[in-house]
Amino acid sequence: MPAIEVRNLVKRFGSIVAVNGISLEIEYGEIFALLGPNGAGKTTTISILATLLKPTSGEAKINGYDVVKEAAKVRQSIGIVFQDPSLDDRLTARENLDIHGRLYHMSREERQRRIEEVLEMVELLDRADSIVKTFSGGMRRRLEIARGLMHKPKVLFLDEPTLGLDPQTRRHIWEYVEKLRDEGVTVLLTTHYMEEADYLADRIAIIDAGKIVAEGSPSELKDSVGGDIIKIKCSDAENMLKKLVSNGYDAMLVDDEIVIKAKEAEKMIPKIFAIADEEIKSITYKEPSLEDVFIHYTGKVFRDEEVDEIEASKMKWRMRR
Amino acid sequence: MEDEKMISDIYAIYLREILRLWRQKVRLVTMIMMPLLWLGVIGNAFNSVMNLPTQGDFLSFLTPGILVMTMVFTATISGITTVFDREFGFLKEMLVTPIKRESILIGKMLGGVTQAVLQGILILILAIFMGVKFSGAMSIPGMFLTMFLVSIAFVSLGLAVASKITSMEGFQMVMNFMIQPMIFLSGAFYPTTFLPDWLKIMVKINPLTYGVDAMRYFAIGVNEFNIIADLLILLIFSITMILIGGHFFRKS
Repeated sequence: MPAIEVRNLVKRFGSIVAVNGISLEIEYGEIFALLGPNGAGKTTTISILATLLKPTSGEAKINGYDVVKEAAKVRQSIGIVFQDPSLDDRLTARENLDIHGRLYHMSREERQRRIEEVLEMVELLDRADSIVKTFSGGMRRRLEIARGLMHKPKVLFLDEPTLGLDPQTRRHIWEYVEKLRDEGVTVLLTTHYMEEADYLADRIAIIDAGKIVAEGSPSELKDSVGGDIIKIKCSDAENMLKKLVSNGYDAMLVDDEIVIKAKEAEKMIPKIFAIADEEIKSITYKEPSLEDVFIHYTGKVFRDEEVDEIEASKMKWRMRR
Repeated sequence: MEDEKMISDIYAIYLREILRLWRQKVRLVTMIMMPLLWLGVIGNAFNSVMNLPTQGDFLSFLTPGILVMTMVFTATISGITTVFDREFGFLKEMLVTPIKRESILIGKMLGGVTQAVLQGILILILAIFMGVKFSGAMSIPGMFLTMFLVSIAFVSLGLAVASKITSMEGFQMVMNFMIQPMIFLSGAFYPTTFLPDWLKIMVKINPLTYGVDAMRYFAIGVNEFNIIADLLILLIFSITMILIGGHFFRKS
């Protein structure tokens, strides 16, 4: 039995299809990432799996329990770290965890022991009795991860765990997520940071417009693109593209750059120069990244402009608190 | 087993409400300052200019009214705190835990009632220091019963409002157009016998009138209506408000 089993999940909000037939199987102990741009349906999917939303159609089971019919048992099996902060910032870290433990019917001794354990893990033990209001964004995130683990869930959901954090703090959070392997908990995380999915996940599902477009381990995904990536900037890209395609190259235009997939890039580059009458401004090649995987499967760049706007407003909202 | 779980869930939610109250020292200070101003300043000022022939000194007459008014404010505001829970995400945290929705509702209501009754007790102590004598029949248990009924009704009202209105501005509007008229038309500050007829009708359809009347009966033995009728109306009002509050809270 897999830890998470999703079959043909669909969620509509009026005429908008947020999740469009997602199927997943995640084994116990795996760290699995849903990678995609904002609005791809990641948070909606997690909300359904955490019993906060009902699916329009399809089926999902967590730890063997149906998310609609056995919601109470699902809730007992999961922990979740939301995208938006959800701590009570008037209480201390310890009190937040204690109340959480009570809501999961943990005994007093169990709660006391576990609070020490999870705070130790996220290195907040020395701040256990400080009011959460005095915590930085990174500390709050760590405390939320600790709270998600408090009741020893089988499955932990992390919805954009490092959204709005600076790169250094992000690294720090990654280390804690890595440690979750030792806890033996199954982790489903969503992210729109490529390097986050690449660094943390055993397996990744790339999600775009409510659909899973590719799935596999980071290296499998990169291999599936087929070899290296050559990128060319030139004055007349349209014309250049036509010539390359007619010469049998696997090329496409992404924004104003020509992207070519190549088995052995270093041998191909001189040939490209030979074909080109166009003035080549620059030419680079590298091994494929997850970003290239995304481009390969969706034919578009991983758009970040919108994301940045949403993120900026979220961060503003966080700062206000 | 199930009941036991539910009680411990309710207690957890309740505990959080009380911890929050304890942390917000400003709220505690307000709880003491508001009645001090009303009783100490307004009460004593009117006491020297007003002389009620039938109802004893004005401060004693005013004390039960101020007690009810302050509790109504405190109870309504505490019901409104659900707005903050939603805005700051804690509601979501509660909704993904295995506890029943009803436990969240009851825990929050009891938290609000505790706060309002605590406020009531503070006023009683203050009033005793100012020389008010509580001489009504069944004083203490009667006053506590009335305080409980009034506060649970208005905590529920606050919850209902908070489930529908999501901004602080909307909340201000409710306070100004619902709570304040109810208080002014309840006889909390003056005997209603001297009012013109059209105002008397407004007073009679106001459920809070009977809360004030019951409180005055228990506190100083002065009342306009039948005490059993007072308590019955108050009870029906409270139950109605609990049902309405519960309904809106579940829906939101």
